[in-house]
Amino acid sequence: MTDTWRRVAYVVAVALLGAVLAWFVVLPRLRPHIFGGAVIQSNQRIPRTELRSADGPVRLTDFEGKVVVLYFGYTYCPDVCPATLSKLADSMEILGSKADGVQVVMVSVDPERDTPELLEEYVTHFYPDFIGLTGDDSAINQIATLCGVVYQKAEGSAASGYTIDHTSTVLLVDKEGYLKLVLPFEGSAEQIASDIAYFLG
Amino acid sequence: MSKKVIVRSVIPVALIIAAALAFAVFQPIQVLPRIRLSPGYLLVNQDDQTITSEDARGDIVLYTFTYSRCGAECADMYETLREVQSRLGEVDAGDNDIKFITISFDTQRDTPEVLQDYAASLGADTSRWQFATGDPGHLENVIKAGFEVYYQEADDGDFAFAPTFVLVDGWGVIRGEYRYATNASDADKIVHHLDILGEEIRNSHGAASLAYEAAHFFLCYP
Repeated sequence: MTDTWRRVAYVVAVALLGAVLAWFVVLPRLRPHIFGGAVIQSNQRIPRTELRSADGPVRLTDFEGKVVVLYFGYTYCPDVCPATLSKLADSMEILGSKADGVQVVMVSVDPERDTPELLEEYVTHFYPDFIGLTGDDSAINQIATLCGVVYQKAEGSAASGYTIDHTSTVLLVDKEGYLKLVLPFEGSAEQIASDIAYFLG
Repeated sequence: MSKKVIVRSVIPVALIIAAALAFAVFQPIQVLPRIRLSPGYLLVNQDDQTITSEDARGDIVLYTFTYSRCGAECADMYETLREVQSRLGEVDAGDNDIKFITISFDTQRDTPEVLQDYAASLGADTSRWQFATGDPGHLENVIKAGFEVYYQEADDGDFAFAPTFVLVDGWGVIRGEYRYATNASDADKIVHHLDILGEEIRNSHGAASLAYEAAHFFLCYP
């Protein structure tokens, strides 16, 4: 009799322990990371197109070793770009010290007006480590096209000159320089931070 | 006694591993690979209207590449395209439309008017099947670098190229490439793949999407 009870108690204790372990340790690890956008599994390298920063020529492949957050915008952009850049700055705050392993890059889709200096002033206003890049028309066209980004001049009011309609996605590039994730404009700072953290490992 | 307990606790773990293996081996769900990003593009269609890659978001698009003076070497490609279009009733892609865009790399001769005549001569319904062309430099980036389709103009103005179909999903990701596609069996394959893609799109929300992510993880490709 006592033997049976002991056996029952033992099984219950093991089951409880198992349940607690499963709930707090195993399940959170097993649960797959849910991405905020479209994942590219195959190995698509980031283009090696030469661009210009305020400190001289830069290729996106120069940032290998860091997770690169790539965005296409321009400094005269009235609404979408400031909203995205401040959201990315929020993601950096959420990541805290991990943000050292991340490089946010905005590539200009308005090389006509965006000088490297203007871009630097603009992006660092959102977060000190952000980098702004521009380049020749052909270089910008090439890198944007390969990143699934399209842009086009739209005539604005006389005061603002012109605006540029452009794809507003945010791209994540892993530490080895492979394009891995396309995030829609609507993604939250928390979601972006968690996706970046995933690729930081 | 304690041995029994160990054995019993091993069984569920073994079952989970076996289930994962079974998933990988038997592939209960198939998905199309996410090959790479579809290029961004800005083109002009047969009605002289601008079309961009952004317009295609939310639609499944099957791209083909050609030029309007293409003769017999394009016949099979169009045969396949027509076959796919006539069998779209077999495919349920949820709220995604299935569209067709044929991009001409003959930027000199294929003006919108020429493309319109070309569409008419092929009997294309342009609400579903559009023809487009664009700036030569941009097209090089889009077709050669982006879609990875080779073309080269010869001295006589004809083009050497590899007839290719590229399937892009509503998220702007390339999901299928059919190179040297020249016969009816390619239509079977493309319709089958559209069906697989449609099933994934219909299950892209909530818990079911996890099973499809698992299928990607285990490379359950057709």
